[in-house]
Amino acid sequence: MTQASAVILSCSILLLMTSGCDNTSQTAGSNNGETAEPSKSKGTIGVSLLTLKNPFFKVIGDNITAEAAKQGYKTIVLSADEDVAKQSNQVTDFIVSKVSAIVLSPCESRSIVPVIQEANAAGIPVITVDIPCNEPGVDILTQVATDNYGGGKEAGKAMIEALGEAGGKVAILHYRQAESCRLRVKGFKEVIEAHNVSASAKIDMVMELESGAAKDLGYKAAEDALQAHSDLRGVFAINDPAALGARAALEKAGKQDQVRIVGFDGQPEGKQAIKDGKIFADPIQFPDKMGIEVVKSIVAHSKGEDVEPEQLIPTSLYRQEDGLKDNSLQ
Amino acid sequence: MPKSKKQHLTHLLTEYGMILVLILLGIFFSLVTLTEQRPSGKKAGLQIASIVKKRFDKDAHILITSRNLPIDQNFYDALSGSLTSAGFKHLHSVQGTPRDARAKLVELENQKIKLQVILGNQTTVDWLVFEDIKLDFPQLGSPTRIGPSPYNWPNFLKKDNLLNITNQIAVIAIIAIGMTVVIICGGIDLSVGSLIAFSAVLCCLFIQNIAGGLDANAGGMILACIAAIIITGLVGSFTGSMITAFSIPPFIVTLGVMMMASGTAYLMSGGESVYRVPDSFVWLGREASLFGIPNAVFLMMLLYSLAHIMMSRTQLGRYIYAVGGNTEAARLSGVPVKWIQLFAYTLSGLLAGLGGVVMASQLKSGAPTYGQMYELYVIAAVVVGGTSLSGGEGKIFGTLIGAFIIAVIQNGMNLMNIESYTQKVILGMVILIAVLLDKLKQKKFQTS
Repeated sequence: MTQASAVILSCSILLLMTSGCDNTSQTAGSNNGETAEPSKSKGTIGVSLLTLKNPFFKVIGDNITAEAAKQGYKTIVLSADEDVAKQSNQVTDFIVSKVSAIVLSPCESRSIVPVIQEANAAGIPVITVDIPCNEPGVDILTQVATDNYGGGKEAGKAMIEALGEAGGKVAILHYRQAESCRLRVKGFKEVIEAHNVSASAKIDMVMELESGAAKDLGYKAAEDALQAHSDLRGVFAINDPAALGARAALEKAGKQDQVRIVGFDGQPEGKQAIKDGKIFADPIQFPDKMGIEVVKSIVAHSKGEDVEPEQLIPTSLYRQEDGLKDNSLQ
Repeated sequence: MPKSKKQHLTHLLTEYGMILVLILLGIFFSLVTLTEQRPSGKKAGLQIASIVKKRFDKDAHILITSRNLPIDQNFYDALSGSLTSAGFKHLHSVQGTPRDARAKLVELENQKIKLQVILGNQTTVDWLVFEDIKLDFPQLGSPTRIGPSPYNWPNFLKKDNLLNITNQIAVIAIIAIGMTVVIICGGIDLSVGSLIAFSAVLCCLFIQNIAGGLDANAGGMILACIAAIIITGLVGSFTGSMITAFSIPPFIVTLGVMMMASGTAYLMSGGESVYRVPDSFVWLGREASLFGIPNAVFLMMLLYSLAHIMMSRTQLGRYIYAVGGNTEAARLSGVPVKWIQLFAYTLSGLLAGLGGVVMASQLKSGAPTYGQMYELYVIAAVVVGGTSLSGGEGKIFGTLIGAFIIAVIQNGMNLMNIESYTQKVILGMVILIAVLLDKLKQKKFQTS
């Protein structure tokens, strides 16, 4: 039957086609000399990120690849799709292919422990990026992350700037599951509380609502906040999607001029909203710097230099005037 | 004659097409993952020793490098032993990290030693600390670096990787047995993914709260696992009885159970992972005790053999095919249709429970996020394996091949560095092609 064989044939052709895409894990092995010199490429870095749906992680991955290429390393960047079992399989695939280093943003910091231990036993350095793993019994070369606590403080300063002398009621759109968001809120509250000690008009943090770090739930939470406090003056949202959801709720209620929003992240959509005056300001993160620091740490380790166990990348406050100068926006 | 030969080929392709696809995939991934490999362990140590003996004097200063790991010890012992007995007088060594190597180089420089050669295994020879030695440590001279000679071998075909693939697919393959029986029986079970999470959380909670937490002994852990599997099996029975007693379509019932099981897993665990379990809990999922075969793989093979016997040699198996082939005819010929259906869903529940326990063991914790979308991978494995979604037809070992095809594609694409988006597209295409093959097969039966 020619049909069936055609199907099998086309199946293998499809695979052959895709192999042409970005097949960088191969090395041209023509070095058969008796004296074994060290290979030309310095090795491969295996990267398993939480997800690639979020542009934030895509930027981390792209910058790891670019910086690694500069330093002579190849990379494999995979998305774990927020599934820790899948991530664990990806890491065992890396261990089997004897990569030089493994970079992770753990989907679940506890369930990933056994597989990190497996990498430790194989002598492969492990680095976390964005999401740390602080469990006992694992050996991690360095943890690269945003300084979320410092970023929260910057958000607090932005809120004070936004509300001015008048002060008023502020709602926090939280995402308690994430350690990073807890740190952001902690920094935010400390700055506001310190401000209230000396300020003439206090900033009153009246509500903390769950935002799911997503637009739809941020929208609902902001609506609820407006129901409870019609004289609300400010919203601090722990990321851009929640901030944009809150903005939609304000527009629906016609209160966009009464309530100022401070977000977090600096994703393109968030930056655009800041430029358009929809969000007051964002402490922005630098996923590109994170990717570069990761590769630098791998190189430093291999050179026998000291590597700090924790590397915090500071945020910077992004206001409307930064947005107007930003050529990447419309 | 040529016609019968052609028919023969047709038969081969339709009946064993999936094995052929698996073999083709294997060959393909072997070719594209052909990579330069280096020997390790004792073999590498002796190889380097023989090169050194040929090329260097007995009073050359030699630095032997390895990591401070059990897997590097054989290399180090073989190399330094062989060189010492050959009469090399100035052997220096460092076992540790690149930092230790740098410290050693500083120490050698202070002793005003001119280093002739640095020896290392597949990893240490590439350390960047030795790359810039001429710049960083000019006093040491310019030593040659020697590592194990490379040879070419596909990453895909390494023994470690093949075991890795089987271990990765174990959970899906085990659950796919139950799904095969359910689908042959004419039903479908969408709840298995959530039941993985349900069982994993339950099992870890039992160990943490009843069996003694971190100090739980083997007996306690086994009881906890069995209890979790039985309770998950009971959920399967509940599904089955809803379907048989009230004649609700299986799609709807299992959809409902899927949500309930997932929600319950979140409730029981409070949305977090349950992790206070002893280290020895990973025995089932990560260790290998018989001939180097991982325990989960051994369990999977055992279950497939049992299921094959059940489906092909027993009355129960024939009844299952009969119910799926034509329910009404089966009922009229005295097959206890409802009991058979109830059995199928209970079996599916039990095996999903077992899959959850294996996954909890692999990850040493139970979290409600486990098993998302797994029902679809399991159904894909069954369908790729040649079981018809309309029921009454299919083979247990076909499902195993289907599961392997999915695992091989995923693993091979990971090794080839194909990005995640493309991986999904390819996996989807393979599933469609498999169903197409299935259709062609049916057409052949109709026309002949």
